[in-house]
Amino acid sequence: MALFPITGRFVGDFIPHLVAVDTDDTMADVAEKVATLSVGHRVPMPTDPPGYEVLLDDVVIPESTVFGAVVAEHDLMPLQWFDVRFRERASVAT
Amino acid sequence: MLLNRDDWYDTSRDLDWTFTYVEASDAFPARWSGVGAESADAWQAWDEPFRVSYRDYVRIQREKESGVKAVRSAMMRAGVYEKLDAGHVAASHLHMGTTCMVEQMAVTMQSRFCRFAPSPRWRNLGVFGMLDETRHAQLDLLFSHDLLKFDPRFDWAQKAFHTNEWGVLAVKNFFDDIMLSADCVEASLAASLTVEHGFTNIQFVALAADAMAAGDVNWSNLLSSIQTDEARHAQVGFPTLAVLMETDPARAQTSLDVAFWRSTRLFQVLTGPAMDYYTPLDQRKMSFKEFMLEWIVNHHERILEDYGLKKPWYWDQFMHSLENGHHALHIGTWYWRPTLFWKPNAGVSKDEREWLREKYPTWEDNWGVMWDEIIKNVNDDRIQDTLPVTLPSLCNLTQLPIGSAMSRHDLEPHQLVYKERLYSFDSEISQWCFEQDPERYAGHRSFVDRFIGGEILPPDLGGALAYMGLTPDVMGDDAYGYAWAKDYVTAEAG
Repeated sequence: MALFPITGRFVGDFIPHLVAVDTDDTMADVAEKVATLSVGHRVPMPTDPPGYEVLLDDVVIPESTVFGAVVAEHDLMPLQWFDVRFRERASVAT
Repeated sequence: MLLNRDDWYDTSRDLDWTFTYVEASDAFPARWSGVGAESADAWQAWDEPFRVSYRDYVRIQREKESGVKAVRSAMMRAGVYEKLDAGHVAASHLHMGTTCMVEQMAVTMQSRFCRFAPSPRWRNLGVFGMLDETRHAQLDLLFSHDLLKFDPRFDWAQKAFHTNEWGVLAVKNFFDDIMLSADCVEASLAASLTVEHGFTNIQFVALAADAMAAGDVNWSNLLSSIQTDEARHAQVGFPTLAVLMETDPARAQTSLDVAFWRSTRLFQVLTGPAMDYYTPLDQRKMSFKEFMLEWIVNHHERILEDYGLKKPWYWDQFMHSLENGHHALHIGTWYWRPTLFWKPNAGVSKDEREWLREKYPTWEDNWGVMWDEIIKNVNDDRIQDTLPVTLPSLCNLTQLPIGSAMSRHDLEPHQLVYKERLYSFDSEISQWCFEQDPERYAGHRSFVDRFIGGEILPPDLGGALAYMGLTPDVMGDDAYGYAWAKDYVTAEAG
């Protein structure tokens, strides 16, 4: 268990944030940490929230995946860019 | 009988030494002059059009000083400052805090020209440039001192560059690079030709016009007086470029392309919000984009063409950034307003929004939708949801927020690994600038780097604000206490 800083962008917002993620976090946790900085602040929450998904290099990572495993598999460095988006909008261009 | 100036001028400005007991390369190291031995002779052709003598210089500067100080006295007596619009006042706080010490840095740059420039004519002009810049820094300090009794934010004219405020760090990073660290040739192209000849027009012409319209005659007069000096000493860039085109045109192209982009980004935050959001609507003369197109873009294109250079490879992206970059920096600085030492005006009342739509046809889709969410939170009394809880990611070249160069639709990662460290950039262009000379930029630690490196404690937004030196008496907040958002309550109720 260790904190790992990422560059987290919620698709639709104009700016990515510095987000501290725990290596024990699941992708669902990561999504929540990134989304909470944008949704309801500059990005409106849909009336029927579809949930979120996390992408690394445009590939969706299963939500149960543990963040530390992703770091190890891809040999990621601090401040790696991750995208988070509304699940239902997966195929919609920003 | 006294000689006419033209009878002695060429002799006096060409006074030089023939070295007998040191090598010329020791007296004028390439590291400082920017000139290698292979091209030293070419610099004998360097020439300037101003033909200023010290006697003439002192007489003209004395007249300028008298004019500025007469207006200053009259305006202070009339109590003009107390009647100014809060949005306009924010622009003056921003200007004084971010510009005053740049003028002082320019004294050092000009003093390097005096000592190390590769032509005695250039060294001669450097003396006048150094005196100019001393005058500018002193005028900014004097005016800010006059106004200190009205607002402690004017203390930041002197204080800002001794803090770690994030925006000030971005300004320092750029001017440390092109003024304090660059050799004479590089500084002349980046600072004299690109910033002083081009971009300062936005600060000293456009802002002066807006200040006059806003009734701030004193500041307008100060800005105009400074610009007359800038217009003169900025000219050293042209003969420098002419010589470089003979000796190393590829270097000229790269230096100008890097400087032009970095200047664009900086002035998008220094002047863009002030012109398009802070200046009261009925007092705006031109939009930031219109002014950039007329005064900067056309000038720069003409210079490139006249000297046989190409437009930068990124020209189309630059034009797209003109549509968007300063809007991004405005919504960003407004949202992160506790990290500022001025009080930004949101500038998105219904009338202001109509003006923005007219000037920037893509504004609603790119920026308006995000302001709608902010307005909703303000009117629902959820101000806490319009305030930051963490830091934005920052560019390792410009030190500005990633996402602030283009629109939200264009946002994509630009990252590279250099010497086992991951660097992030606000655009493909900034990454390209970094790649031209990685060692020049790689060592600098952005505000985010300092945060994750453990230098900012406690490691939260409160710790970051303390690290920036921001105290409650100067910390930014909405200039009008959110009164502009009431426009939308009425509409919804109706």
